[in-house]
Amino acid sequence: MRQHDDLDSMEQDDGVIERVAEELRRPLRVNAALFDARVMDEVLRTPSGLRARIASLVQPRTFRVSPLVALAAGLLFAVSVAGSLLYVLPASPRAVAHTPARTAPGSPIVQFGFVAPHASSVALVGDFNDWDPKATPLRAASTGGVWSVEVPIQPGRHLYAFVVDGTVWRPDPAAPKATGEDFGEPNSALTVADPGAR
Amino acid sequence: MTNRLLALLALLALLACALLCAPAALRAQDPRLDARLDARTRDAVVGLIDSVRAEGIPSEPLVQKALEGASKHADGARILAAVHKLAGELGDARAALGASSTDAEIIAGASALHAGIPPAALARMRASRAHGSLTVALAVLSDLVARGVPGDTATTVISALTNAGAPDAELLQFQQGVERDIAKGATPAAALGVRAQSAFPRAAAPRTP
Amino acid sequence: MELSDAALVDIVLRGESEAYARLVARYRDRYARFALHMLGNREDAEEALQDAFVRAYRSLHRCGDPARFGSWLLAILANRCRTAGGKRSRHERRFVSAEDRHYAIALDHPANASEWREEIARALARLDVDQREAFLLKHVEEMEYEQMSMVTGAGVSALKMRVKRACERMRRMLTEGEDAPTR
Repeated sequence: MRQHDDLDSMEQDDGVIERVAEELRRPLRVNAALFDARVMDEVLRTPSGLRARIASLVQPRTFRVSPLVALAAGLLFAVSVAGSLLYVLPASPRAVAHTPARTAPGSPIVQFGFVAPHASSVALVGDFNDWDPKATPLRAASTGGVWSVEVPIQPGRHLYAFVVDGTVWRPDPAAPKATGEDFGEPNSALTVADPGAR
Repeated sequence: MTNRLLALLALLALLACALLCAPAALRAQDPRLDARLDARTRDAVVGLIDSVRAEGIPSEPLVQKALEGASKHADGARILAAVHKLAGELGDARAALGASSTDAEIIAGASALHAGIPPAALARMRASRAHGSLTVALAVLSDLVARGVPGDTATTVISALTNAGAPDAELLQFQQGVERDIAKGATPAAALGVRAQSAFPRAAAPRTP
Repeated sequence: MELSDAALVDIVLRGESEAYARLVARYRDRYARFALHMLGNREDAEEALQDAFVRAYRSLHRCGDPARFGSWLLAILANRCRTAGGKRSRHERRFVSAEDRHYAIALDHPANASEWREEIARALARLDVDQREAFLLKHVEEMEYEQMSMVTGAGVSALKMRVKRACERMRRMLTEGEDAPTR
């Protein structure tokens, strides 16, 4: 009788649910070293009358991690999650772009991407890096003319654009346009939500 | 005797130094502006920033606006005009949103005003969300209007969403949805309408924690 | 030599805390997937999963049947996912820009997949938490209803109803593009 119920709903299915399930069943790989170390750090810290802990794991405690660790974890997690990236990042660790010191630690990290197969340089400029084309260069992936960079950006609304080959200003076609005084060159708008807020 | 003279000279030198340096110390010393603007423009911009800072208007967006102009090789007059306009918008936003608003809210509010949303609408938004930040709501509003959604309609919809307790993540998703529909060919008003319709039954439902 | 869950639990309870790492390794990826689909973003999922592992360790002595450690852990995780809601969600956005729109489309082509994934994620997020949980356990974790009942604490017929409704809504959202919920 139970089987019957299942078959019923599957029959009406026309395959959508099966496709969804297939997609959701795709395996996920977590960055084992980091994850396991964090769990075991808590586990071994537990006062429980058991044997005193031996290993000294070099990990930040609880869940507050430094932005760089979080960035590394996030990046590796991201690379592992099958297909959740729109394009593949190179395997080598990505340098965090230089940003002004006023960016608070724990700012959300935003990834910017730009496709420009014939460019020799692409830079990100915006109200978070003094609009300085030298501050935040994007890095080219090994194939495909895809440039990207990850930047910690404070919550709030920001304006930005890309500068290609040092002189050509381009807005971000995929992002909302910003209206208004653009000194002749259009900007794009970015809204970063506050990670603390719900 | 020599000692006294020296002491007197030192004192004079100190005084002179103090007199020369004092004005600079009082003014907004920002090496970024020094480096990128010509002296006249810089002085004007700094003067403007100083004058509004006392009113609780955040200065960083003004500095950034000036630097934006510099990077885009705009002339001094244009830069000053832009900074002046932004200062006005920040002030109006602060007035409409309330003095206890955060800098982020004021900045987002200024962008909404810049997009043509009237100050009264900002006040309405503030009334619709007594607790919690309006930053994202105002930013989403600005983006929708920039996309061509009529200001009134956008304000009504976003206010209703915030009033119903929609979290920031949902507001952002809402905006992305509208953008996507427009990209697929819907008119901005229609795109908003469709999304609003599906959002409202949810908004009306009791929120589970 | 693979030790069973029961054996590992036993070893840990006898004082070898380090052995817990093997249980973590065994369930980490699979349950991360569940947490991700429940919560919608990686950071929250990772945090919830870590939390669940730690809680499971701390109440390991209360695990009724060590042979079913996996289900027991999943129950803790499922509960954590329901109550969590992402205390510390980091908001990450991604843009793909293109000098040439056509180029971008070509690049995105493997991701008619990516759009599909996004649509699924959005539809999942719109399910209410009971339905989402039931749907994932049934169709992604591929559990039997009795097992689901133990993990969620809900009755079998309630779970079936949830799965059915979840399927209906998902189907409607993904084929007709309608987001309006009907109860």
